[in-house]
Amino acid sequence: MIDHDAVPPAEDITRFYQPELARVIGKWQMTEMMVLLRLQPASGERLDHAPGQFLQISLPGYGEAPISFCSSPTQTDSFELCVQSVGNLSEALHDLRPGDFVGVRGPYGHGFPVEDMRGRDVLIVAGGIGIAPLRSLINYMADRRPDFGRVIIVYGARNPSERLFVEDVESWDARDDFETWFTVDEPDESWTGMTGVVTVPLREVEIDPARTTAAVVGPPVMYRYVAMELLNKQLAEDDILFSLERRFKCGMGKCGHCQLNDLYVCQDGPVFRYTQLIGRTEAIEVWAPDEQKG
Amino acid sequence: MPTELVMPHEAVERFLGRLIDEGPVMGPRERVSQPGFVHFDWLSDPGDLRLNYQTTTIPPKKAFFAPREVLFDFELTDPPKITAVREAEPFTLVGVHPCDLEALRMLDDAYAKEPAEACWPANRARARVIGVDCMPDEYCFCTTADSCYSRARCDLFLTPIERGYFVEVLTPAGEDMLRVSDVDEATDEDREQAKDFGREKAGAMTARLDATPEELAEILESGQFTELWNEIASRCYSCGSCNTTCPTCFCFDINDEFDLGLTGGRRVRSWDSCQLAEFALVAGGHNFRRLRWQRVRHRWYRKFAYLYRTFGRPYCTGCGRCSRACTADINIVDVTNELITRAREGDRQGVQG
Repeated sequence: MIDHDAVPPAEDITRFYQPELARVIGKWQMTEMMVLLRLQPASGERLDHAPGQFLQISLPGYGEAPISFCSSPTQTDSFELCVQSVGNLSEALHDLRPGDFVGVRGPYGHGFPVEDMRGRDVLIVAGGIGIAPLRSLINYMADRRPDFGRVIIVYGARNPSERLFVEDVESWDARDDFETWFTVDEPDESWTGMTGVVTVPLREVEIDPARTTAAVVGPPVMYRYVAMELLNKQLAEDDILFSLERRFKCGMGKCGHCQLNDLYVCQDGPVFRYTQLIGRTEAIEVWAPDEQKG
Repeated sequence: MPTELVMPHEAVERFLGRLIDEGPVMGPRERVSQPGFVHFDWLSDPGDLRLNYQTTTIPPKKAFFAPREVLFDFELTDPPKITAVREAEPFTLVGVHPCDLEALRMLDDAYAKEPAEACWPANRARARVIGVDCMPDEYCFCTTADSCYSRARCDLFLTPIERGYFVEVLTPAGEDMLRVSDVDEATDEDREQAKDFGREKAGAMTARLDATPEELAEILESGQFTELWNEIASRCYSCGSCNTTCPTCFCFDINDEFDLGLTGGRRVRSWDSCQLAEFALVAGGHNFRRLRWQRVRHRWYRKFAYLYRTFGRPYCTGCGRCSRACTADINIVDVTNELITRAREGDRQGVQG
């Protein structure tokens, strides 16, 4: 016979799919395509994420999408997400106003292994919107500065108007204990900094490979060239961290959308050590050119 | 009650009628609009049950993981109101072939892996399951997919014999379904006939895989076989029929639907297919399995290597549904055996895939 008591209530059964409400408490247009949303869980409870983790944000009727946290977990009263306008949901998120509600579930995935990085030099390599998840890590290190050695930030954007988090970037630049390298591919008259893709300044950066961990986030095309530069610097493959973008639907290793060979990016990543990705044919975007094997 | 009984032919309808009186029953029946086409559907008349049927197009996993399943309703109030939606009514699933029993157990494992999913087990907990044995067609290869004799998590299992069905009572729930008037004691002759049925079934199997699961996983892990995947992909239409008919595929998509009034709607989980071009597309437009051969390859690796390593058995039951459904006549046994042959020839010649 069927034991009715054994069947849990509906809310428990769908808990994985069911978002909690969060309220928009701040919104900033950062560039033409990007807004920053500051959110607070309606329950008042902290989400307690790690840098590099993501959550699923949704608007009823528009659907759900994974977005990385871009605020540090040391910012405890709220959290921030950087949303690029690419589809129906993100366009609707762009139209939100303070006071509006969104659905959130998470955090999900393995973020940056900040405990393992303690005491080490950290080399941040950000390309384009890759700066968003890395801002979470950078601001975490800023608030826990004695826990880390050198902090080196290399950030490349396509052009000056697409640079994100300009205030943060200026504050990092102003610190004596952060080393910053900024570049744009397409400079305009206002730009006085370096010109070229992110590997241009990266080539100049001197590191002690034995005590450095690199954290890299950017567009797929960037990874293999950054990997090549880092390997040229004698950095161990295990000390190179890549965060990968896949299309998570569930966030719990079931829906299959984020599968990378035998790994589920939502569970095993999104932050991976380079050693985990070498040989996995569906992570080919990260392979340094001399390791490409069809 | 003994664990081996016989349900005579004349008792089957009475038995089923009582199950229908107790609650919803799903089983193989002819589609009303398409006589001769047997599919799993709700039964209202015991006479509609077709226990002697060839493998259905859509597997019975749909009883627990519907092609389209509402997760929750929402109302666009301020704040939005979200209400979980679950079916809670107990039901009975009748007439499940051994390969499909095995598939259901495999999906139990897949969804239970931490972090466990809760919709699947909640639906499983609602149902009693009655299995039935079958004879293979030319697409079946369950003897080399380790599901030919599965009795996995079913309450009663029926094997056709001369005077009706030989009944294995496998759980207390199975025992509870039977009444004394439904069944006789099994004789040695009945037992022998049931055993003969199993032997005849295995003997009638014409399709088989030429390697063990472990050998097959090692072959896949030993090389890329890009040439073979390209050949298969040149015929494949990426229609997703193989995934849609697979009893062990469990990937899904999640989407929202608005009501016509635009004041509310629901979030819906639906079957998805890794063979569809947009399955691995990400927001920036990058597609991690953009090429057809990459998607074809993914299906074989997922079934015979990745999930085999995770769960200890290939995620294929040998039901042959993907081969039957394939619009391009791509046969899973032929492709797998070709892979095995090329790998072994490559080994002999000292080169890898």
